[in-house]
Amino acid sequence: MTPRRRRRAGLAFVAPAAAFLAAVIVFPLGHAFWTSLHRVRGLNATFVGLGNYVRIFGDDAFWHSLGVSFAFTASAVVLHLAIGLALALVVNELRVGRTALRILFLTPWMVAPAVGATIWLWLLEPQFGVVNYLLRVAGIIPSPVAWLGEPATAFASVVAVDVWRGVPFVMLLMLAGLQTIPVEQYEAAAIDGARAWTRFRYVTWPNLRYLVVVATTLDLINTIRHYDIIGVMTGGGPAGATEVLPVLIYNTAFRGNRLGEAAAIGVALLAIVLVLAIVYVRAARLDDDKAAR
Amino acid sequence: MPFHVARPAVAALAAAVAMTFSALVAAQQPIVLQWQTANLTESQYEPIWKQTIAEFEAANPGIKVEPVLVARKDHWTKFVAASQARKAPCIVSVDLTTAAYNGYLMPLDKYWNAEPAEFRKAWSDAMLSSAKWKGQLYGLPIWGGTYAEIYNRDLVVKAGLDPAKPPKTFDEYLAWGRKLTGSDQWATAVLGGKTDTTTRVLLMWIWANGGEAFNADMSEATFAKNPKSLEAIKFYLGFAGKGGIAAPAPTTTNYLEQTNLYAQGKIATMRNAYWAVAKVVGDNPAMAGKSFVAAPPANVPNAPTLATVTASSISSSCANPDAAWKFIKFDAGRKWAVARAKVANWMPLRNDLADDPEIKADPMLLQYVQIGQNARSYPLPHPVWAEIAANDIVDAVQKALLAPDKTDEIFRDLDARLTKKLRDI
Repeated sequence: MTPRRRRRAGLAFVAPAAAFLAAVIVFPLGHAFWTSLHRVRGLNATFVGLGNYVRIFGDDAFWHSLGVSFAFTASAVVLHLAIGLALALVVNELRVGRTALRILFLTPWMVAPAVGATIWLWLLEPQFGVVNYLLRVAGIIPSPVAWLGEPATAFASVVAVDVWRGVPFVMLLMLAGLQTIPVEQYEAAAIDGARAWTRFRYVTWPNLRYLVVVATTLDLINTIRHYDIIGVMTGGGPAGATEVLPVLIYNTAFRGNRLGEAAAIGVALLAIVLVLAIVYVRAARLDDDKAAR
Repeated sequence: MPFHVARPAVAALAAAVAMTFSALVAAQQPIVLQWQTANLTESQYEPIWKQTIAEFEAANPGIKVEPVLVARKDHWTKFVAASQARKAPCIVSVDLTTAAYNGYLMPLDKYWNAEPAEFRKAWSDAMLSSAKWKGQLYGLPIWGGTYAEIYNRDLVVKAGLDPAKPPKTFDEYLAWGRKLTGSDQWATAVLGGKTDTTTRVLLMWIWANGGEAFNADMSEATFAKNPKSLEAIKFYLGFAGKGGIAAPAPTTTNYLEQTNLYAQGKIATMRNAYWAVAKVVGDNPAMAGKSFVAAPPANVPNAPTLATVTASSISSSCANPDAAWKFIKFDAGRKWAVARAKVANWMPLRNDLADDPEIKADPMLLQYVQIGQNARSYPLPHPVWAEIAANDIVDAVQKALLAPDKTDEIFRDLDARLTKKLRDI
């Protein structure tokens, strides 16, 4: 086969995958960007160039939402990692019931986010919810708390539910990482008289460091795009206290009927995710280089 | 004939047979009409719409009606998303002006004008005008609801108040409210949840104080600009908070939460339409016959209340508008209008039903009809209404509930924001 024919054959093999990716990724992205350049009112669209970008960047609601997004993502990711790592360490030490516990901890991750959010919505209901009932019976709160009715508690509630759902993923990653650490390293540390904390600091952590970077980046990318939990539980309220960017996009597009502006916010969110993705790729490459050395 | 010569002919023949066969199959398939309204998910209405569909399908064997069940709060957004995809349900009841402006609905004049005068005279011109946009008819008004104040008789009597003399002014209402508030029980609920019901009730308080939320041609918002409006807003939102007469968590209280609280005896009054009474009894049958209704308290004479008008429309993406109109006509019939009024408490909008013996036999419905004689039609007729009613106005209410001392500033900002949007069409 001549090199030219070989190249053609290669292209022919790649073409179906390229066409599929173009259809499901390139076209929607291109369409979203094209929409962001239009003033869309229902089924009518007028080209406005960068007008929608000027409008959203001049709107306090966008910057407020960006701040809420960063606060929500940072809180959720830190908690996912801290709790996920702690649970992974505990489960990894177990000799009995490890599989059962792993399945148990994975349950929230298996529940559809909207379903989980709806369950929590009712658990946190101020008058008839189980959470308030239990807290009142235990004497912890004197009167019902409107968990989703006040900005601070609403924010804490959606973060808590996101942590409930997001921890299993991180735990699973960490557990996989822990199981790849050679036992000999722990044995050597034990011979040197290292205690639990020292073993963690000098054996576990260095082995997990790369995985933590990967998990953090993946979790950041995943969490900053979250819509479902907040969309179901608060819709971004009260008074915008939980209106992260994906919720703002939804509210602008479908409640506000301004698809062009919503698409512009979507493109801005994409830019943020892209930066995080570059960080992730670089981290992965660094590790590959280390491994090669 | 050699096979290689005959092959194209055989292929063409096979294609023709396949196309004929698929056309025959398609011709035998019934037309499927999707039907989406916000109230299909309400249990009190369920037996009626099921019966309506069953009888319609029996009378029209070639047409199937498929109800689209959507939670009330997601009704509009689902419709918009489906409309954008040109896949909206054929028959819909949505904010008519906004939907028509955005090109989501089909004008119905062609169908309406083709109907006999006998059918058309059941709707007054005033009623039809609420379903028009730029002179074209976009919906057939089917049912409505006048808003009034609903009281729990037992709780009123228990508080030492006289159900025969409900409060007529704001001050009297507040005095009643204080007596109706006790341990783990409140007089009422302030609505601040993210649906347009929040806006409906707010508008009523504004109108009852002689205020206006907008100027006459709806090119300017006057929530803060009009002192009477701002006074009413502060009075109403002041029910919430510590020492107030309203149930906690107003920023998450919508129609569903409000009716739940009332059904459980947690609140003694609620501002709502007649259908809320049916919902309460459905939630808690022990509440049957325990409610009474009165005109909303007002500080000015002849203050209007609010009356919703729900019209059935045909979406612009509907492939079978003739069949859709057939169903709308069927659903608008006397039989169903009376059934909706009796069982689900949805008020009929046909003017030929005012003297119907079955309608007249319901004293509370009659009272609602009487209160509704001085009512303003809702939704308000502006292309951005669906957007601002469930978003901007609700956001301002939530902010004011969370920071009452900033109410003036919040509603001044709202005026500026809304005025910009009202003019940006």
